[in-house]
Amino acid sequence: MQPLRIALAQIAPRLGLLDDNIARHHALIDEARRGGAGLVVFPELGLTGYLLQDLAAEVAMRLDDPRLLRLAAAATGLSAIVSFVEESADHRLFISVALLEEGRVRHVQRKLFLPTYGLFDERRCFAAGDLLRAAPSSLGVGIGLSICEDFWHLGVPQLLALDGAQILVNVSSSPGRDLAALNEVGLGTATSWRTLLRTYAQLTTSFVIFVNRVGVDESISFWGGSEVIAPNGDTLFSAPLYDEGLYFVDADLGDVRRERIALPLLRDERLELTVRELDRIVSERAGQATDPTAEEGAEAGLDVAAR
Amino acid sequence: MSPVGEPRSVPRTVPDGAGLFDLPPELAIDTDVARRVIAEFIRGQLRQAGFERAVVGLSGGIDSALVAYLVADAIGPERLLCLKMPYRTSAASSESDAQAVVERLGCQSALVEISPMVDAYFGVTGTGVAGAAGPEGLTASAVRRGNVMARIRMTVLYDHSVTWGGLVVGTSNKTESLIGYTTLFGDSASALNPIGDLYKSQVRQLAAAVGVPEAIIRKAPSADLWPGQTDEAEAGFTYPELDRLLFWLVDRRRSPEELEAKGFSRERIEWAMHAVAGSEFKRQVAPIAKLGPRTAGVDYLYPRRRPGSART
Repeated sequence: MQPLRIALAQIAPRLGLLDDNIARHHALIDEARRGGAGLVVFPELGLTGYLLQDLAAEVAMRLDDPRLLRLAAAATGLSAIVSFVEESADHRLFISVALLEEGRVRHVQRKLFLPTYGLFDERRCFAAGDLLRAAPSSLGVGIGLSICEDFWHLGVPQLLALDGAQILVNVSSSPGRDLAALNEVGLGTATSWRTLLRTYAQLTTSFVIFVNRVGVDESISFWGGSEVIAPNGDTLFSAPLYDEGLYFVDADLGDVRRERIALPLLRDERLELTVRELDRIVSERAGQATDPTAEEGAEAGLDVAAR
Repeated sequence: MSPVGEPRSVPRTVPDGAGLFDLPPELAIDTDVARRVIAEFIRGQLRQAGFERAVVGLSGGIDSALVAYLVADAIGPERLLCLKMPYRTSAASSESDAQAVVERLGCQSALVEISPMVDAYFGVTGTGVAGAAGPEGLTASAVRRGNVMARIRMTVLYDHSVTWGGLVVGTSNKTESLIGYTTLFGDSASALNPIGDLYKSQVRQLAAAVGVPEAIIRKAPSADLWPGQTDEAEAGFTYPELDRLLFWLVDRRRSPEELEAKGFSRERIEWAMHAVAGSEFKRQVAPIAKLGPRTAGVDYLYPRRRPGSART
């Protein structure tokens, strides 16, 4: 299999300036193509900026928006992954990521998990997606798209890999916080992410591509540190923290097959077991089945007995 | 291929400025990352607001010295105006320390004596000449006088914001902000604050890392409202002790019982919790009575820097 050259667009989108960001995407898609990339990946909400609040509705695009279609039309000779605010026909707003290939929008994944705690307030502005699907791609392998917080839920990388993804892509606008001294990269957020990415790559025996933005929206700074991790958990590339840039990485997609033959974790996955136990837990939580692990005397659906 | 940004393999164990001051280990920060984030923050805020310059009020103390260094680092000293605004009872060392910062940075500076402005309001004690506040102003408390001085300095800074064409950069740190040791619309007023999420101990660590003169790092923090005044004498705490308490209380969400188990005294815990709760109003924008369909800060929520918001 030909090595795939991946371009990581670690950019600083301008908040609310859709036209400026679109122009920047066009320029970088060109630059990636000229650099020989087969895939270029932009960060979460790279077309709009992150901390939108009431601006979200003002920068939203429908999937037939001419500006999005023109961007898709530019994606010829390579695949591009871009993220924006999607407005559905019934006027719900989603944080979405799209795979653009062969001049069209090939696949759209809506953000499933909207953090609304701590410094996050996404549920206030956005609707959560309901579907998770791996997608075929012109690269000859399945691609699984996810957005930032989605990767803080174990099921997401696993489902994508089981659904046929060999490359897991996570696009992020991760705010840096928890400045730490005794830490490999000096930033708590970065350390947590680096742990997740390596773990997922190894457990799903897939490539993991992480593209995180840089720049500042209001109080928060985004830390970059985009990475490509090989299916055995090895780090292929780590972009610098905070530096804007288009970073090129070569990946041998043959590594997926080699790793999955040597370490057949996906083959050995017990889907029926997982489904059965999940069904049980859902029924118990809904009070529709007896919970054998609940305290004695607990009412249906409650783990703990009233005192 | 672009260069690979490898993480440091050896974690930093000796914080900057070791020996100069007491730095509780849980508060130590990676100063390289902090400088990077803060520089981007300052540049981003200015750009989004349509400004290229900044104004900082230099007191001679560590907070404003650090901010001046950080701003000069982010945008270059030629775009920074430092204002020295002494009152006639300010310590002489305050002005000389401020001057040392200006000279080291090579930035623009100006001196505005605020004594005539303060005296015009309170009058001059001893002479019996009353000011705009009337005879009663002659016996105003130190707190009132301190608040007026802070607000006059704010007025001068914002006036220079116009003439210099730069944003006012705030110098309040997290410790004083959390306990409310600030003057509302005085020293707490600014267009952006790069050090407001750093405890005093972290300010000292970062100040040492960026090269703030040692004399400024070593001297006892003071509001400099009367001779010999120091923050630590007024609060009855040392900063490392207070910083640690606030860190575990606020950042690490420990309960009073858990704090006591960590060795903090009940009296200090109660004092700190009261100070934090009692100064909530100083950290928030004043509430607007909700009447219309969309109300600023309630359900009209825009980023303060957004398309069209930059000065043109």
